[in-house]
Amino acid sequence: MAFRFGAKHQVDDPSKRQELVQEFINSHVLRHASDHHSPNLPFLHVPLLDWLRYDWVILPLAVVLMVTVATIAARRHKPVPTGLSNAFEAYVVFIRDQISVANLGHEEGLLFTSYFCTLFFFIFSLNIFGLVPLCSTATGNINVTCALALIFFVLAVGTTIWRRGLIRFLKTFVPPGTPWLLLPLLVPIEVISLVVRSAALMIRLFANMLAGHILILTIVGLVLIFSWYALILVLPLVVALFLFELFIAILQAYIFTLLSAVFMGLLLNPEH
Amino acid sequence: MTIPPLSDLHLAALGAGLAAIGAGIGIGLIWGNGLQSIARQPELLPKLQVSMFIGAALVEGVALFAIVICMK
Repeated sequence: MAFRFGAKHQVDDPSKRQELVQEFINSHVLRHASDHHSPNLPFLHVPLLDWLRYDWVILPLAVVLMVTVATIAARRHKPVPTGLSNAFEAYVVFIRDQISVANLGHEEGLLFTSYFCTLFFFIFSLNIFGLVPLCSTATGNINVTCALALIFFVLAVGTTIWRRGLIRFLKTFVPPGTPWLLLPLLVPIEVISLVVRSAALMIRLFANMLAGHILILTIVGLVLIFSWYALILVLPLVVALFLFELFIAILQAYIFTLLSAVFMGLLLNPEH
Repeated sequence: MTIPPLSDLHLAALGAGLAAIGAGIGIGLIWGNGLQSIARQPELLPKLQVSMFIGAALVEGVALFAIVICMK
């Protein structure tokens, strides 16, 4: 697996060099952006078991982190909480007031505030793990975001049917005040729009995470194409892009949670 | 000057660039109007920030659909 560029492959033909650089980029640099089976640096290959993919190692790690933080923060030390308990309480109050109760109403808001807390923390920790050097971005894998969107979809539809009954759920697809002739056209559009909103949640998170990584890897590939002198321009740019990707990680987790709450609120309480 | 033969990769890059134009215009419109209304009534800042972020995420979602299709 080690590919030491330049040592054994001294070529004088410039076009051949271009080919070798391209092959190196495709095989080693851009491999960070696809599903891979090992944490890879060019000189290190730690093989996992055959049936294990690296994203499947990151996902339980995020769950363990979440459970640890929540368990430590939920212990009552003193009447007035300090430290981690205080921060966690501020976080839960923020989600309860701004995201859950504001969109779902008071009673369902209190029911679902734990779901939104978990969702936000989970997506946030998965996004942040992608920026740590030897880890992979689990949310950059479309299967992970598809699972998250499916969970939201089943939860939203199931809650509407459970709390409002099947008739009211079917009535959300019929906006009030439409003439009868337009109904065969409008109801499929409404049904499709519900499905497409969940798919949009999935693709938004996936594409944002993947695009950030591909951008950084492409610009690092510029260093390989033009030799080491390009590092002067590339290094500050890559640092800036990394910080921007950190901001996007937080923002996309917040957007996923917020839009889940908004869409669930639209299903539960259709605007009159 | 002859036009080089267009391959799939060239057209994909062109499509992604066009999607970026749409995203730029959309986000610029949202935040421009948001800044104007913040200048008129600064006490509405928290509510407007939430709406602006939601709008920006939706617009970027559409642009990213186009980019994901271009990648295939």
